[in-house]
Amino acid sequence: MAEIVLDKPGEKPRIGVYVCHCGGNISDTVDVAKVAEALKGEADVVVSKHILFDCSDASQNEMIEDIKNLNLNRLVTCACSPKLHEATFRGVAQRAGLNQYLSFHANIREQSSWPHGDDPAGATAKALAQARSAIAYMRDATPMEALTSGSTQSVLVIGAGITGLRSALDLASMGVQVYLIERLPYLGGHSAQVGGTYPTGTRGDAIVRDLVGQLLRKPNVTVFTNATVESQSGYVGNFEIRVHIAPRVVVGPSAHFNDAIAACPVSVPDEFEYGRTARKAIYQPRAPVVPNLPVIDLDHCTRCGKCPSILGGAVDFSQRAEVLTLKVGSIIVATGFDPYTPPQGEFGYGAVPNVVTLPQFERLLATEKGPELTYLGRKVRSLAYIYCVGSRQKRAEGDGGGPVHEYCSRFCCNATVNNDLHVHERFPEIRAYHFYRDMRTYGRNELMYEQAAKQGSIFVRYSEDNPPRVTTEDGHALVTVQASILEHDSVAFPVDLVVLVTGMVPRDNQALNDLFSLPIGPDGFYKEVHQKLRPVETNVTGLLIAGTAQFPKDIKETLLSGSAAAAKASTFALKTTLELEPFVASVDTSVCEASGGCLRECPFGAIEMHEYEGIGKRAWVNSAVCKGCGACVAVCPTEAIQLAGLTNPEVRDMIEALAR
Amino acid sequence: MTDGTPSSPPPERYDVLVVGAGIAGMEASITLGDAGFKTLLVEREPTIGGKVLLLSKVFPTLDCASCISGTKTSRVSHHPNIDMRTYTEVEAIRREPDGSFLVRLREKPRYVDMATCTGCGDCEKACPIIVPKENDFGLRGRKSIYIPFDTGVPKKAVLDMKNCIYCMACERACPADAIDFLQVEKVREVRVGAVLLSTGFNLFPAEKKTAYHYGEYPNVVTAMQMDRLVGPTRPYNSVMRLSDGKEPANIAYALCTGSRDLTVGNPRCSQVCCMYSMKQAQLLMGILPTADITLYYMDIRAYGKGFEEFYQQTKAMGVKFVRGRVAKIEETSGNDLRVYHEDTEGRGVLVKSDHDLVVLSIGLLPNPGIATIFTNETLELDEMGWIKMRNETQSPSMTSIDGVFVAGCASGPKDIPDSIAEASSAVSQCIAYLTQMRGLAPSGVVPEQTRQESNGEASGLHREVPVEAK
Repeated sequence: MAEIVLDKPGEKPRIGVYVCHCGGNISDTVDVAKVAEALKGEADVVVSKHILFDCSDASQNEMIEDIKNLNLNRLVTCACSPKLHEATFRGVAQRAGLNQYLSFHANIREQSSWPHGDDPAGATAKALAQARSAIAYMRDATPMEALTSGSTQSVLVIGAGITGLRSALDLASMGVQVYLIERLPYLGGHSAQVGGTYPTGTRGDAIVRDLVGQLLRKPNVTVFTNATVESQSGYVGNFEIRVHIAPRVVVGPSAHFNDAIAACPVSVPDEFEYGRTARKAIYQPRAPVVPNLPVIDLDHCTRCGKCPSILGGAVDFSQRAEVLTLKVGSIIVATGFDPYTPPQGEFGYGAVPNVVTLPQFERLLATEKGPELTYLGRKVRSLAYIYCVGSRQKRAEGDGGGPVHEYCSRFCCNATVNNDLHVHERFPEIRAYHFYRDMRTYGRNELMYEQAAKQGSIFVRYSEDNPPRVTTEDGHALVTVQASILEHDSVAFPVDLVVLVTGMVPRDNQALNDLFSLPIGPDGFYKEVHQKLRPVETNVTGLLIAGTAQFPKDIKETLLSGSAAAAKASTFALKTTLELEPFVASVDTSVCEASGGCLRECPFGAIEMHEYEGIGKRAWVNSAVCKGCGACVAVCPTEAIQLAGLTNPEVRDMIEALAR
Repeated sequence: MTDGTPSSPPPERYDVLVVGAGIAGMEASITLGDAGFKTLLVEREPTIGGKVLLLSKVFPTLDCASCISGTKTSRVSHHPNIDMRTYTEVEAIRREPDGSFLVRLREKPRYVDMATCTGCGDCEKACPIIVPKENDFGLRGRKSIYIPFDTGVPKKAVLDMKNCIYCMACERACPADAIDFLQVEKVREVRVGAVLLSTGFNLFPAEKKTAYHYGEYPNVVTAMQMDRLVGPTRPYNSVMRLSDGKEPANIAYALCTGSRDLTVGNPRCSQVCCMYSMKQAQLLMGILPTADITLYYMDIRAYGKGFEEFYQQTKAMGVKFVRGRVAKIEETSGNDLRVYHEDTEGRGVLVKSDHDLVVLSIGLLPNPGIATIFTNETLELDEMGWIKMRNETQSPSMTSIDGVFVAGCASGPKDIPDSIAEASSAVSQCIAYLTQMRGLAPSGVVPEQTRQESNGEASGLHREVPVEAK
């Protein structure tokens, strides 16, 4: 921390103002030269300039030179959002020997030039007012110190798909204590259900088993299955998470599991097979379970008593749920996706018997061991793939219905041609037709597309306005399509199986989203702070997102994302103390009337009522939990609660300057 | 390492060597530095920032590229744990018996003293020699002594001795006495624990696609040139045709130039061209509101977060999308251009369309030279020359050599978000390698931090009475 130079009372403010062009982002609308010129007349402004990019290294050095040569003691930058560059210019102040909080970053891009592109004069006037307000604030600003807080060197990873597994493995290898929780009884997520993956050809379950195997050898990893987050509190470095662990019931080894599974009278659709087949209430998952014993689905178990009679002490139906409290420094949310499930009748789904989704088809391929591919007891000789099912959707006029997935699901073109190559290799006599919109086999995946076409698969492009129709005829599915390559005639393809290339949709995680206030983007996936600058972070410091919970990705991209989140988590987890912003609320107990309004208003639970000796009950702010939002300040009837660095007089000064 | 001039003191030590200071290399260095690892970042060009710094705005959010890379160039140059070496080539890397790497660096002479040069540009003004400027892809000239890029870091002059006529005008003009004609190449050796390769890509040389006549027809330009024409540090402050300076009114984009094309030896898709072409189309609609813009494409590959929405927005803005690859380009009168393509959505006939400017959406090619610098181990490349990931469906950031990681476009074309994700991923696996495999703790400045001793105990865990039990 730089030495605080501005603590002499009465020292006159000497302010430097730097108005940024942002390479046209601002200067195309706001007359930056005019703003800079006008500010020269402001009291206490020693220098006012306009610069192509405030943030460029040369400009930063220029500011440092000015601070030194002109004895500036306050810095005002009029540029982009503070989210982007506030820290940059605090760093400039610091490098020049000033207190970092004597730098103020006014946002004249997002708040003036961008929204008022149609009104340059108005935008210029507004930018000038913002700058004056910033100057008014800086005039009376006082040096501040960052708060510090102790940090727990452990990380919670939510979701044990390959993203969570990869994050956990990387963090564990760095020596960080990791807790990995998974709501299902088994690990690996959707990847365990995939057959030969691209581009390596490795089976999905092999990828999962390899990661799980490496992870379980780490001494500093604790894995909880059947586990969900029940509550959370705290803040970066000091989150406290209560994890609910549902009973496992199967507690020990037995030689009679197969008998017990056979005896179980319950039959429910097997989610691992995407409902293609059924399973019992007691079953052996095909993905890794820890310990490696069958599991009981208590939601469907009828407690008929058959398995305890066969398995004896290996099952314990008296087992109860447990709640654990974990203390962690940061959290990675890697909760994955749901596959799109078409509504009844979409491209014949649920209406025409020979229609399956891509994940169902992948399970069919993974479980078909014979020399020919059969479906519903019949040999499959021809296949149709219909692309973009549940992706790149458009809301029809007047359609107020369910969610529309406007985004492209990214992995599905690649996954489909990859599956087609596997089909061709194993069942070369199958004829395959691909009905697609744009073939998005980006990068090296293009080679798979080329290969599929070379070996005889037929690619027919359809238009979004004229999608294929799927009907049934003589036990076949009939795919009718109009396409330019067919000279716009309507051509019907009779096929044995139709594969709907379904994409990924955001998982319905309402409880978790509410618990952590996770930010959701317009596409329904978790939204990062900034795609390029802070790609795995949320607005809650220390709460990170990764994998397909953020957007559809293929296996390689998912693993990269898991590792990237681990890298970010490590920047918290390798430290014992963290710096926090000093702009937090505090209470003047001599004025506080204990109205309790602030308690009710605080969205972070940072305020408590304390009994003070001699004066009675007064509000008290936990500064580590306070985010400085100011909600409490607004409701305090006596102005007893104030934000450090943003007191009511300071805010009034700013407003007055804005209104001038 | 026997040849060259061996440095006399014992080789300096770093935790990690990062090769290439583009967006991926900068991101990786900052994350490594933040975690306390002493990092040597080497860049062969005179400034850091790579190709992103040269761009206008970036898809799909249209942030200005400088806002993305400017933060990083600045942080790299002030980071206490990052030692940045520009204009320096990594000449050889040898694995030592103890598992570390011995790295030989060749620092090229700038003929300008970095410590005293203030970047004032007086030398540039004095220099009488003008040659095409690399960073503007030939759109304007530079002097023989020059500041490579307005927003580049470090902002120091460099003298291009190939074109210098030794008139000494720069030496006389320099107010800081920074010009030093006696500088020589320096060879240094350093020892590092791990290597991270972020050597980026080369642009497809558009003249190789002979049917498009790039370099011959003045109004056929590359998309990289167009990005410079619309960028904030743009050379002409307007978009113009190179033949006559006229504002174009009818612009065509030829997508997949140098990609998905066996005739030029690249069967692969370059991943970014659809999106950057649409980005430029949107920017051009703002700059030239009356111009017609047509994109000739095979498939629009808008597959990333927010990309499809960007595509739909581009269509809604009035950009015309024609499905059909450009077969050839012909010059007509007044340097106008005729584009031949197939009408794949209509009757399948050949169509000729006239335009006054054609932008070639050039693809990305590997920058494979890095493989040859490993003297006693083999860095595997794929059949195209991109650095091969050891196991893409397990640990994608690892290369064929233990302790050597890859990030960004060095392993294949990708956009900025993917490059940054790869950089972070490579750092994660690099830190894991250093701490676990080599038992190294960070040797850089770790303010107010101590590393946790891992004893395998669940330090933060305590059990409490199950709530549902009683």
